[in-house]
Amino acid sequence: MQQLLSNIGLGFSVAGTPLNLLLSFVGVFLGTIIGVLPGIGPMTGVALLIPITFGMPPASAIILMAGIYYGAMYGGSTTSILVNTPGESSSVVTCIDGHEMAKQGRAGPALAAAAIGSFVAGTFATIMLMAFGPFLAQVAIKFGPPEFFALMVMGLTVVTSLAGRSMLKALFSTLLGLAIAMVGIDMQSAVQRFTFGNLQFMDGIEFLVVAIGIFALTEVFVNICEMKNPKETSMEKIKGGLWMTKEDWKRFWPSSIRGTLSGFFVGGVAGAGAAVASFVSYGIEKRFSKYKDELGTGAIEGVAGPESANNAAAGGSLIYLLCLGIPGSGTTAIMLGALIMMGLQPGPLLFTQQPAFVWGLIASMYIGNIMLLVLNLPLVGMWVKLLKVPEYLLTLLIILFSFLGVYTMNNSVQDLLLMVVFGVIGYGMKRADIPAAPIILGMVLGKQMEEKFRQSMVISDGSLSIFVQRPIAIFFLLVAFLSITNPYWKYIPMGFRKLFGKGSKAA
Amino acid sequence: MAKKKEIKREERIASVIMTVFSAAYLVGTFFQIPTSSIHQVVGPAVFPRAVGLLMLLISVIYLIQQIRGYAKEADATRAAIIGADEKVETKADIKTMAIMVLIMIAYAFLFEPLGYAVTTFLSFMAGVLVLNRKHLLRDTIVGFIASFGMYFIFTTLLRVQLPAGVLSLLGL
Repeated sequence: MQQLLSNIGLGFSVAGTPLNLLLSFVGVFLGTIIGVLPGIGPMTGVALLIPITFGMPPASAIILMAGIYYGAMYGGSTTSILVNTPGESSSVVTCIDGHEMAKQGRAGPALAAAAIGSFVAGTFATIMLMAFGPFLAQVAIKFGPPEFFALMVMGLTVVTSLAGRSMLKALFSTLLGLAIAMVGIDMQSAVQRFTFGNLQFMDGIEFLVVAIGIFALTEVFVNICEMKNPKETSMEKIKGGLWMTKEDWKRFWPSSIRGTLSGFFVGGVAGAGAAVASFVSYGIEKRFSKYKDELGTGAIEGVAGPESANNAAAGGSLIYLLCLGIPGSGTTAIMLGALIMMGLQPGPLLFTQQPAFVWGLIASMYIGNIMLLVLNLPLVGMWVKLLKVPEYLLTLLIILFSFLGVYTMNNSVQDLLLMVVFGVIGYGMKRADIPAAPIILGMVLGKQMEEKFRQSMVISDGSLSIFVQRPIAIFFLLVAFLSITNPYWKYIPMGFRKLFGKGSKAA
Repeated sequence: MAKKKEIKREERIASVIMTVFSAAYLVGTFFQIPTSSIHQVVGPAVFPRAVGLLMLLISVIYLIQQIRGYAKEADATRAAIIGADEKVETKADIKTMAIMVLIMIAYAFLFEPLGYAVTTFLSFMAGVLVLNRKHLLRDTIVGFIASFGMYFIFTTLLRVQLPAGVLSLLGL
């Protein structure tokens, strides 16, 4: 306890410096803009804005990035409610009841419920991170290379198994990321791999070049194609009070708490991600809420639950990032990549070696959550005006920022061209319905994964059995196996029936 | 049902590209990775080869599914549960896209010789002319701020180096 308090003190002393307070504010502010603007999700936003952090110390940089992350998560709900267009996939469910509430002139309470729900969930996730983060790091610190390799395999497969429509395509995408990560000089043998004699390929392909190409520029191409047939949208005005009534509060709490818990454990701890968390939470409300019959017709539960859930999930995936160095979502993968670029190695050692960094981030999350609340409720009118920015200008500005960001990284024109190439590839993937986020996950983890694999092989003198003999490693690998085979489980009983005749009920 | 056919065709093309790429990558691990002079338990080619092999395996399964006309229903329910992003179904505007790609390539090549501010302004205006030329005055102002304004913010406030290009001739 003493330890915890002193850690919190340390955290606030880091996050409370004027510069970091400002950055937290800037992050939350930019994040909200990104969340509100259609098309730019948290992932594109964080990738595009990473270059601003280049000159900063790591603690300041992550404070800014985390601010953008949860700012964007929150901003997405505003457009869901007012315009019925989700800013990102995790606020798709919020549209159902949120927009219905807005139509009935209750946009204010809906926005408030989303903001307070996010705040409650964010705070809960932060407390959990403080309580269990150090413990988890303690456990993970004892992991050897085989355990880490297995953990990374599990991290990749669990996230992959939940990305996109087709598991096959998601797996391909992950492997493609690993394949790209192999380009460059191999650190352990000084051999060049896939460099084709190109000097810049020797350092490997920067993940940010791929990320910006595949998210931001792909978005540009999608926008260009959609400009010919614009969508009709109706914006609801905010009528009536902004604040929730007593009745609203009474109905808000149970849903928000259910959403927070389910979001944290399903979306965060189990690695299912924010979008799944929000869907699960809506399902829970549909089943257990006292007002389940009103869901779909503008019930506050349909906003409070999912919005709490997606923020709790976002917070939960930060735990993995900080304690294990494993990203639980596309956005955290980009943050991980950025930290590695800054020379930090996220993982269990971070808690002991960089306490100021970790606790500073945690404290800034508190501060950022409060800022979000203050920033969003009174200023909601301003955010909505952002939607009036013409789409083609927005598209052109995304191009400018992409070029600016990628160029400042290495001052390289080749990177710019590579980014354009990945933009085109990304658009092709989008048309073929191949999810892009797993590529980034694969790219960010690729080098480390290979390194841990080779270290394991050195320990075992070339025998793969080392992954089976270690209980923790085999457990991780088993989870990985189960997660990628789950679409096929339903065939098992079917197979049994075929084998043993029609003894059981048909269905 | 023309739309459905279109999607089918796109998926089929994708599956072929995936297979060819995976095969090329796998072959590449034999020719693009020289053997190391240092003796190692696991050499530099092993991991890429495993990745290539898995990639090829998955592509081939996908290719076979496409050829045999794999049922889509299961995927649709999966997407509903996960809440996957909506699939892009609008027809690609290849012509505009190609022009924009050309602008981007020109942007990249002129970035250093002409300098950040000038190239950005020119590319932005080129984009405006291609996409929507109804509000030229307003858009010129936006373009000016986004190029010269950003140049100023980055070079003087954030102290990030950006190519000055022709601006250096003016002594700025």
